[in-house]
Amino acid sequence: MSTASHALPSPRLVRTAIVLGVLLIWEILPRAGIVPSLFLPPMTTTLQMLVVEAPIYARHMLVTLQEVGIAMIFACGGGVLCGLAIGGAASARQIMLPMFSGLFAVPLVVLYPLFTAWFGIGSESKIIFASVYGFLPTLLGTAAGVQTVDRQFLIVARSLGATRMQKLWHVYLPATLPTVLAAFRLGGALAIVGVVVAEMLTSTAGIGFLISKYRTLLDSPRVYAAVVLVLVLAIAFDGLVQVLERRLGIAQQQSGRSVGKRSVASAVA
Amino acid sequence: MGLKAVVSSPSPAFSTDESGAVEVTNVGHVYETASGTTEALTDISFRVETGRFISIVGPSGCGKSSLLMMIAGLVQPTRGTITAGGRPLVQPDPTRIGVVFQDASLYPWLTARSNVEFPLSLRHVDHKIRRERAEEALDLVGLAGFADKHPHELSGGMKQRVALARGLVQDPPILLMDEPFAALDEQTRLTMGDEVLRIWERTRKTIIFVTHGLSEAIHLSDEVLVLTSRPGKLVDRVSVDLPRPRSFEVMGGRRFEELRERIWQRIRS
Repeated sequence: MSTASHALPSPRLVRTAIVLGVLLIWEILPRAGIVPSLFLPPMTTTLQMLVVEAPIYARHMLVTLQEVGIAMIFACGGGVLCGLAIGGAASARQIMLPMFSGLFAVPLVVLYPLFTAWFGIGSESKIIFASVYGFLPTLLGTAAGVQTVDRQFLIVARSLGATRMQKLWHVYLPATLPTVLAAFRLGGALAIVGVVVAEMLTSTAGIGFLISKYRTLLDSPRVYAAVVLVLVLAIAFDGLVQVLERRLGIAQQQSGRSVGKRSVASAVA
Repeated sequence: MGLKAVVSSPSPAFSTDESGAVEVTNVGHVYETASGTTEALTDISFRVETGRFISIVGPSGCGKSSLLMMIAGLVQPTRGTITAGGRPLVQPDPTRIGVVFQDASLYPWLTARSNVEFPLSLRHVDHKIRRERAEEALDLVGLAGFADKHPHELSGGMKQRVALARGLVQDPPILLMDEPFAALDEQTRLTMGDEVLRIWERTRKTIIFVTHGLSEAIHLSDEVLVLTSRPGKLVDRVSVDLPRPRSFEVMGGRRFEELRERIWQRIRS
């Protein structure tokens, strides 16, 4: 048994090794001439671009960050609130939920040209597009979570005289927190995608705009450098949600298990 | 309280403290099912004077829990009226009536203290007063040292103590208990019964206790209401004329057996 555990390295170590391996291959393939560097510029060349062109990337990244931030507030905040409201009321659920589910199936990207016509090619159209894009899955996820809330929790709240808003805030929200966070994670990621895609289509600033611009100039290292920044943004957001989950999720996870401290428990009753 | 308290009659013959009186008049309950309407309760009338401890027993499905939920204001009777503290009940009023449910009624994401404070925070009671009252209530049920535990860290008996503390925290004159110890083991159930009696003797609340344990009902109550099923009907009111405090000997005595036999006969008929 001990030999087996010695033979297997820790998952963390394996993960790091895989990432390093990919980075190494990224460096070697173009350098060895196996892949043309127009398709895949070497890793070091790409990262070098980030350093050399730092002011340009920083300026555009700031635009993207701002758009993503505002879009997330609308998408996640609005999605969670509407999801709670719709999921918590049977009539609203029956009327609205099929509509939103249907809407979710529509590829919203095709509507983006309309957004630019309505809101211009500046930040507004990106923010609005990404908000709508992230809003639906957040709403649907939250509404689904609300429906799984233990009915007894609500009966108790009612016996204690809770108002509708109090039930939402004090019962539905904490009871659905894990689902809400999962929905938030998805909605936030989609808001990032929405902003970057919108920037790539029609814009004058932002990381997506840079990707689009350098691509037409066939400047692969700069394209890759911008892509790396988008990846970093997405990974950073995911990490942030994970931290949040850990902070807020402790009590939730514990409640799911019934392995209490029996010795303490039996002391009183 | 005397050996044999005044038998309560449907109309108050003399003026007493009305705050804890419960009056149920010609109450019936009909609900819709897929196979038509079902009459759950029919023509139930009784009055409970302030400070009395009464139990409701009956076969499962006789509607005793539904009756309790109606007294709590959680379900509206289809016929008849219910008053608590001399006033009709349109919706749950935790300052008049506290309810202790069978199980799963504590919020797993809150500590014992926060669960007890919960009804007070719904009413925006000042934080300091809230804390004081919760401490008092937890102290009353013998859980002073467990305020910061989460429900999953408590035994079944302790959870019901917390639920009891939550029911008592607003000091309502009436306490309804819906098979509160049904999920507990025999020994814990006996201990909890004594606890409820101790608290009742200290606070002199009106307690209406639904159970399917005949011994439990006799052990605790001044009077036992017997319901039969389909439709639920009040068939007998048995005054328990056993001296208090009811020791183990009294509970095994002849009078106890007679009462038990009588109730059992009525349920079977």
